[in-house]
Amino acid sequence: METCFEVKDLNLYYGEKQALKQLNLTIGKNRVTALIGPSGCGKSTFLRCLNRMNDLIENCRISGEIRLLGENIYDSKTNVVQLRTEVGMVFQKPNPFPMSIYDNIAYGPRCQGIRDKKVLDGVVEHSLKSAALWEEVRDRLHDSALALSGGQQQRLCIARAIAMEPEVILMDEPTSALDPIATAKIEELIEQLKTTYTIVIVTHSMQQASRVSDDTAFFLLGEIVEADTTRKLFSKPADQRTEDYITGRFG
Amino acid sequence: MESNLKARIRPGQARRKQRTDRTVRAVFFLAALISGSCIVLITLFILMKGIQPFLPGYAYGSVSLKDFLLGTLWRQDQGVYGVGFIVINTLISAFGALLLAFPIAVLTALFIVKIAPKPVKPLMKTVVELLASIPSVVYGVFAAGVITSLVKGLASLAGVSTAGGSSLLAVILLLAIMIFPTITSLAVTAIEAVDPDLELGSLALGATATQTHFKVVLTSAKSGIFAGAILGLGRAFGEATAVAMVAGNKLFGPTFNLFDITRTLTSTMLAGLKETTGLDYDIRFSVGLVLMVVILLSNLSLNWVKKKVGNGQ
Repeated sequence: METCFEVKDLNLYYGEKQALKQLNLTIGKNRVTALIGPSGCGKSTFLRCLNRMNDLIENCRISGEIRLLGENIYDSKTNVVQLRTEVGMVFQKPNPFPMSIYDNIAYGPRCQGIRDKKVLDGVVEHSLKSAALWEEVRDRLHDSALALSGGQQQRLCIARAIAMEPEVILMDEPTSALDPIATAKIEELIEQLKTTYTIVIVTHSMQQASRVSDDTAFFLLGEIVEADTTRKLFSKPADQRTEDYITGRFG
Repeated sequence: MESNLKARIRPGQARRKQRTDRTVRAVFFLAALISGSCIVLITLFILMKGIQPFLPGYAYGSVSLKDFLLGTLWRQDQGVYGVGFIVINTLISAFGALLLAFPIAVLTALFIVKIAPKPVKPLMKTVVELLASIPSVVYGVFAAGVITSLVKGLASLAGVSTAGGSSLLAVILLLAIMIFPTITSLAVTAIEAVDPDLELGSLALGATATQTHFKVVLTSAKSGIFAGAILGLGRAFGEATAVAMVAGNKLFGPTFNLFDITRTLTSTMLAGLKETTGLDYDIRFSVGLVLMVVILLSNLSLNWVKKKVGNGQ
């Protein structure tokens, strides 16, 4: 298994409060890694460390290192804007920009100075196809993205991330605002996407974790209690707390 | 624990509550009726006064409506009243002020909300709100004292002479300063209302903060920002006192030269209102009617544009 992310001794503080404690984790390339755990356990905070979105929060301090394909992304020489083109992100609530479907997809490439219409047309088509949205919107690329349904909007946000041709796509509870049918479509999509991308997904649903992921890390109170292949973690957890959580005794 | 709640409710409580509901509804209706009828009454009054001079049998000799609307000369001493050029002057000064104030106001709002350090932000918001509440006559005195001398200096640099600085440029500068706080404060509200998730979405795609501000924040807030522009324009059209202090009240036009004196609808209505009677008095109501139509049409067309560029909200 090739390594995508290598997390070493990661600690994160909000002011005086320590939110992540001494995390160590290896995230495999072209695999789906699920982060599970009860609310407030730090899994979303950890996810936002991977594309340095926590930089935007005041009083947030980080120690330790995270290597993406060998390079420490917390090195002082790292260009954060560059990093985020390599590590895309999909949010909990679909957040399409108030512009056309086309402009939503072309937004990232345009921010990198790509203006050639042919290139952009190609990127838009390819991204929408990869996100399984092309057939539904090909006739109305220039309509507002806000007119799409919630599930379509979320697939648009995935397409928007794909447009940057990233190495990794981070997903922060991407289906929690969606109905079961839209959720199933996104899960199907995740399955297809992992051939090209590494996916890290935060989820509240253990069924979802067991359905879509190859590996799972269980978070509790800012620590990683256990990380293993999903099959192993769900069938033979090594830690009692993991077992209590996955069998529904708390959380 | 059993508190026997149902038995404690006074008999007839439901009926009493419904009666209160009906009374309150009537009070609301009355309030709406009063405010609504005020607008209708004022409009009717101005309409009746304003069309008088154009009706046959008018006591002070009738005026041709066509000459009034298309005229390019306003000589009350000769009884010539043409408002056409004044309409154009008014449009030029109001839109000129908007053109000047709008970009500065939007960038200021963006700075206040997104860039200014935390302690500076409330201070700047307070200053902008204070600016919006300064009475127009104070702006007028400032304009007459400071802006006119500035324009005079500018004119002498350019080698032209001005009427002591009173000019179209002075009017535009004055109005720009006056509408700036209105537009800024509405833009601040609009920008603050933009969903932070959109910004995060943009940053997560590798956009810089500046790209995010211009491409996502302003695009998302444009409906509200546009509402601010419309309100600002309304103020620019309607401002009389301060404008009259620096316009110079030219007798003919329209005025396109920035250093030439001008005349707006409001300054025309105001000039010597208390020392006149007869046609010269009544015709000011006609000018008021024209002003109302100009404002209405400008608002309608801007609202149409707002819908076109807006986000369908």
